[in-house]
Amino acid sequence: MFLAWKEMRRAKARFGLLIAAVGLLVFLILFQQSLQNGLLTSFTGALRNQSAEVLVYRTDGRRILQASVISPDLTEMVGQDPSVAAVGRITQGTFSVTPLALGADAEPLETSIIGFELPDLGGPRFLTVGRVPANTEEAVASEVDADGGFAVGDVVRIEPGGKQLTIVGLARDAQLNVAPTLFVTYDAYRAALVSRNPDAGAPLPNALGIRPAPGLTADQVAAAINTLSPELDALTRDDAAEQAPGVAQVRQSFRVIFLLYGFVVPLVTGLFFLIITFQKAPALTLLRAIGAPASRLVASLLVQVAIVLGGGLAAGVGLYAALARGRIGGVTLRFETTAVIVWVVLLSVGGLISALFSARRVLAIDPYSATTGAGVGR
Amino acid sequence: MNEQDEFDGDRFDGDESVDHAPAPDQAPALIMEKARKVYPMADSEVVALDDADIVVEADEMVALVGPSGSGKTTLCSIAGGILSPTSGRVVVGGVDISTFGPKQLTRVRRELVGFVFQSVNLVPFLTARENLLVVDELGRRTGAPARRRADQLLEELGLADRAKNLPGQLSGGQRQRVAIGRALMNDPKLVLFDEPTSALDTKLGMAVMELIRDEMKSRGIAAIVVTHDERITQFCDRSVHMEDGKVL
Ligand SMILES: Nc1ncnc2c1ncn2[C@@H]1O[C@H](COP(=O)(O)OP(=O)(O)O)[C@@H](O)[C@H]1O
Ligand SMILES: [Mg+2]
Repeated sequence: MFLAWKEMRRAKARFGLLIAAVGLLVFLILFQQSLQNGLLTSFTGALRNQSAEVLVYRTDGRRILQASVISPDLTEMVGQDPSVAAVGRITQGTFSVTPLALGADAEPLETSIIGFELPDLGGPRFLTVGRVPANTEEAVASEVDADGGFAVGDVVRIEPGGKQLTIVGLARDAQLNVAPTLFVTYDAYRAALVSRNPDAGAPLPNALGIRPAPGLTADQVAAAINTLSPELDALTRDDAAEQAPGVAQVRQSFRVIFLLYGFVVPLVTGLFFLIITFQKAPALTLLRAIGAPASRLVASLLVQVAIVLGGGLAAGVGLYAALARGRIGGVTLRFETTAVIVWVVLLSVGGLISALFSARRVLAIDPYSATTGAGVGR
Repeated sequence: MNEQDEFDGDRFDGDESVDHAPAPDQAPALIMEKARKVYPMADSEVVALDDADIVVEADEMVALVGPSGSGKTTLCSIAGGILSPTSGRVVVGGVDISTFGPKQLTRVRRELVGFVFQSVNLVPFLTARENLLVVDELGRRTGAPARRRADQLLEELGLADRAKNLPGQLSGGQRQRVAIGRALMNDPKLVLFDEPTSALDTKLGMAVMELIRDEMKSRGIAAIVVTHDERITQFCDRSVHMEDGKVL
């Protein structure tokens, strides 16, 4: 402790900069973790956080809700399968919607509207306030858009046609395609279509929400439905969110970033300690020569590594806690506790492993070198 | 020998070994019998120390004189437990270290001998006082007694007002005095000085030698002072000459 501490006190700037660098890297990692999760939630939150445990698409819709159209015979086929307790039809479309709270002539917003036949098979799963829509005049909105004219009590207008919907509830993490999202009844959805085009008929469902038969898991039901027809593509709601087009690519890109950062932190600490171990080799050799056990010097090194990692992680997490809230370009950022724990463990282990290279150097010091003019460990 | 052993037990004492020690205090500080150090080379070998015999009495100060490459540093390194002899017997302060392994030798260096090396002697990021105190940190910490001892040594060496200075803020002579204090911190049986004045000018060198002599004699500690400067030898009780690895 004595040596480790005294050295750090005498080289405050050097160690301070290292701690700051580690802290900044930790912050960037965690911030990007929030960015990734926020981004994916904005794209597919409405799928993950709708109420049906299993969603059935039509295969040729390639897991895009709007592109999948399910014919009545397929609906019937699914409904008759013994693994299925109930089927709820789900429709989805993009509409131009004016949030009247921002003024009658406010700019209309591209808005996803999801129509559900049964509230527990395609309705919003988590309401933070309010209630599920009960008639064709009501809607639940994605919570992040509340301040944009989608708060409870606000009225929005569908363009053209002028059909109005009153917001009666807010759903958490329920956006689709990074746009304001409304959950409405099947009939309200139809009314919205008619508002836009008076000749519109009854819409075919884009997907089916499934309630599993008692005793069956979502996975089992999805598997059972997939055997019915190659035209059917059944997924659990988490799979539906994960396997939506683009999600895998986003994760892949972020994984590369995380991998790079995950290596940079141990690399930076490892190199730093290797350099200072080289620089102070004469002092370490002297200490070995006057009777310092090698284990003492290694312990002193590891204490410094622990202080640097601990300080850097604390600084990074602190910065993250302070800054990872609010929204960036329509993406909601949250403090991700799991990510913090995982990264703290990963980076601590990585940092300590990288310090083993310096430890090996220390152990290799030959005290006899202190007697020669050079006095430097090889 | 496991890690624990390094710190186990009391300090080494004279009564731990050796048959021919009459009483620990009067036991010679160093006995070397046929000590040999051979470095195997590609197709030959270098005999750095050639069956050296030497005895340094408990409070004796010996000047070790000889040309460069004659084996002076090798002899001191073996006496101080920095090098193991290839063969021969080495007894330091009554402890036979001839067959000691690396960890036992580390303990010998920490408890039985003091060193003042030719070049690097101080830890650059520790103050003068801390360079003395670090000795106490290497083994079992004693704390307050060590702090008292460090302050007393700095006072004796005329460094009381330099205690808080880093080595970089000290002159060559002052650094050498801190090194002497450091070598005395563990109350050694034998202090090994390898060319302690080679980096100093003549006048300063003489002053440092005077200081070394005073410190050793007042404490009754034995010393070997390596030099090739004949003027240095006058501070010592006797001179031992070396050539080609042999003690003459
Ligand atoms: N590690 C080593 N490997 C090979 N030869 C060495 C080594 N260390 C010292 N020697 C040789 O041993 C001899 C004695 O060296 P040394 O004890 O340093 O002499 P001195 O201190 O009297 O100048 C020299 O010839 C030197 O080259
Ligand atoms: Mg030499």
